[in-house]
Amino acid sequence: MVDTPISPTSPVVTYDTSLETEIAHLSVIIQENPTLNQQYTPRWLAIQLLESDSTLSAELHQHADLLQQAEASRARIIAHYQEEPDILLAEQRYNFVHQLTNQVLTRPDGNQLTFSDKVDQIVTHRYWGLPIFLGLMWLVFKMTADLSAPMVDWIDGTVAGPITNRVMTILAMLGLSGSWLEGLLVDGVIAGVGGVLVFVPVLMALYLALALLEDSGYMARAALVMERPMRVVGLPGKSFLPMVVGFGCTVPAYYATRILDNERDRILTGLLAPFMSCGARLPVYLLFGTIFFPENPGLVVFGMYLLGILIAIGLGLGLSRTLFAESEQSPLIMELPPYRLPTPRNIWMQIKNRTWAFIRKAWTVILSMSILIWLLMAIPITGSGSFADTDIEDSAFATIANIVAPAFAPLGFGSWEASSSLITGFIAKEVIISTQAQIFAVAEADEPFEETTMFEDVSEIVTSFGAAVLDTLKSIPLIIGIDLLGESDEAEPSALMTAIRQHFDEVSGGHGALAALAFLVFVLTYAPCMVAAAAERQELGDRWMWFSVIGQTGLAWVLALFVFQGGLLFFG
Amino acid sequence: MPPLTIALAGNPNTGKSTIFNALTGSRQRVGNWPGKTIERKAGMFKHDGFELEIVDLPGTYSLSAYSLEEEIARDFIIKATPAGVVNVLDATNLERNLYLTTQILETGVPTMLVLNMYDQATARQYRIDTAALSTALHGILIVQTSASRGEGLETLKQTIVTFAQQQANRRKPHGRYPNQPHQPSCHV
Repeated sequence: MVDTPISPTSPVVTYDTSLETEIAHLSVIIQENPTLNQQYTPRWLAIQLLESDSTLSAELHQHADLLQQAEASRARIIAHYQEEPDILLAEQRYNFVHQLTNQVLTRPDGNQLTFSDKVDQIVTHRYWGLPIFLGLMWLVFKMTADLSAPMVDWIDGTVAGPITNRVMTILAMLGLSGSWLEGLLVDGVIAGVGGVLVFVPVLMALYLALALLEDSGYMARAALVMERPMRVVGLPGKSFLPMVVGFGCTVPAYYATRILDNERDRILTGLLAPFMSCGARLPVYLLFGTIFFPENPGLVVFGMYLLGILIAIGLGLGLSRTLFAESEQSPLIMELPPYRLPTPRNIWMQIKNRTWAFIRKAWTVILSMSILIWLLMAIPITGSGSFADTDIEDSAFATIANIVAPAFAPLGFGSWEASSSLITGFIAKEVIISTQAQIFAVAEADEPFEETTMFEDVSEIVTSFGAAVLDTLKSIPLIIGIDLLGESDEAEPSALMTAIRQHFDEVSGGHGALAALAFLVFVLTYAPCMVAAAAERQELGDRWMWFSVIGQTGLAWVLALFVFQGGLLFFG
Repeated sequence: MPPLTIALAGNPNTGKSTIFNALTGSRQRVGNWPGKTIERKAGMFKHDGFELEIVDLPGTYSLSAYSLEEEIARDFIIKATPAGVVNVLDATNLERNLYLTTQILETGVPTMLVLNMYDQATARQYRIDTAALSTALHGILIVQTSASRGEGLETLKQTIVTFAQQQANRRKPHGRYPNQPHQPSCHV
């Protein structure tokens, strides 16, 4: 290995004389300008100018003289070759590379099929390709949803149980039991921190799945298989994966948009992913379906999932022909890298770094939202309560819900009870149910706080962690459909169901079922929950986050209006 | 003095991430490129008491700024003026990978090559005359690695130190690269 400095006087690639003349001509002008000479390598800039690089031309708008000279040079080249300079330059670079490769590389004769080629004959097969792809997507979905579930429960339980106990015990020792500080710490801070941490196992499972798919080389094949059907809605094949993940949770769906190759595709996929009904929306569908359509709750749930997909398809068709039209669709030229065994180290680094980036970015948003909601619920506006000791209907939160409520009247659910559950639903969609339970005062009374010793708390954390690890292992066969955990459905409290039924009947003027459907359509469509919003902000930026939050809520309002008023017209 | 910055460039699927992980270990920061939706990875490389910042550029086939990835890679090489570029190539796909190399060399930023996946090239009975390749590219430093098996990484680390030290010595306090005319330096 010889060490000779790269010298501008002897470039590695030398072009045709006519091209070199123009390059030299422009280089001299650049060299004579101290600012340009300081900022750019003259020969490089000259070549870029000949290629008429639009981003560079914009940067150089002050150097009108140079741009003029470049135009003149380009015109001379075009006159001489009858061809665009960028094509000529690229062609000659390819020639150089081709000759160089011939000179330094010797290959054995004959074209034998590699291992990758053989696998590809099956995996990208006209008929087998799609079932194999759908099967693998099913695995990814099960991984993000099921593999992480025991750990999510463990974190949830540890935060709500032993850790909360510890804080309350310490506060009790300081004589602060039942104070506003306890409320702030337990219901605001700890709940907020827990809200971030429960997503860690979900994201780790997602990133494990993504790393396996990407590093093995399958992702490129998946893109190929799904390219045609997805193109119809203006998306590339790869964006099928974030959508599938979205049925588990919208948060990892946003992060899964990273696999896409360009910004337009990432943004469009990110905008459509929240319409895939996430796992948190399912209990709401199920509860309302059971209350209002007891004969056919399954049909309601299925209908909601289908509606979400239809909305996404409709919006995809619309957006890809309007807002996202002018950006060129990336043509279907893709590299199929050879299959490789992913290295554990690479996989672990991806999981670790990406998950950590989520925690770093999301905790501020989530913690402050959690504290804000606690604060609103703690401030008494009416009634005889004091700060941090007031009934929910007397709080500032109820006041705000009351102000918003009339907006929902045309949709059939214009009550503060309904609107406040939609507001807390922004924390997490499943909270809609617990807020209503709290409001209709049918929630089970909080378990009386029992002081525990440090030892009890620590040992509970350890034993429950052990159980969670065991459940995670048990859930691995579950991914391929064998259920070792057994059904764990909780029976819904019937008192809550009666209360909701009565309330929706009352507030909608006797059209409870219709109002409930409109409510579900609203829940399906409106703003993604705050963690999802934080994820979208991290992945797509502030602007698109607000676009989603405001746009989806507006869309939800219109669709719910359509359902309720339309329903009144037809069945009223 | 802050550590020098080295950019890691190359086509997609060349094992660039594996090399990045091998060089930086756990000392990594992952974020996004400013204002962009593209992941940015940077990390510290330490070897023999020598310290460098390594920035992993998005994988691209060219530097022509047709895509956001290409624009980011190009802007970083041109505007952030790293002390050098480590260009990772897939040894089984030399011809296609070398196109990017020619464009990186045109920027005038000091560059060295890593022929990764050398084991697979060997398995396919490819023979690469690295000495001839180096000569054709004006004596560029070339290292052969099989990063996923951990082969050649020690040599790579050594070579990067050598490469970076050359750039550190050549770099003038206010000049861009050694071939630029001297700027008057002002010491306060």
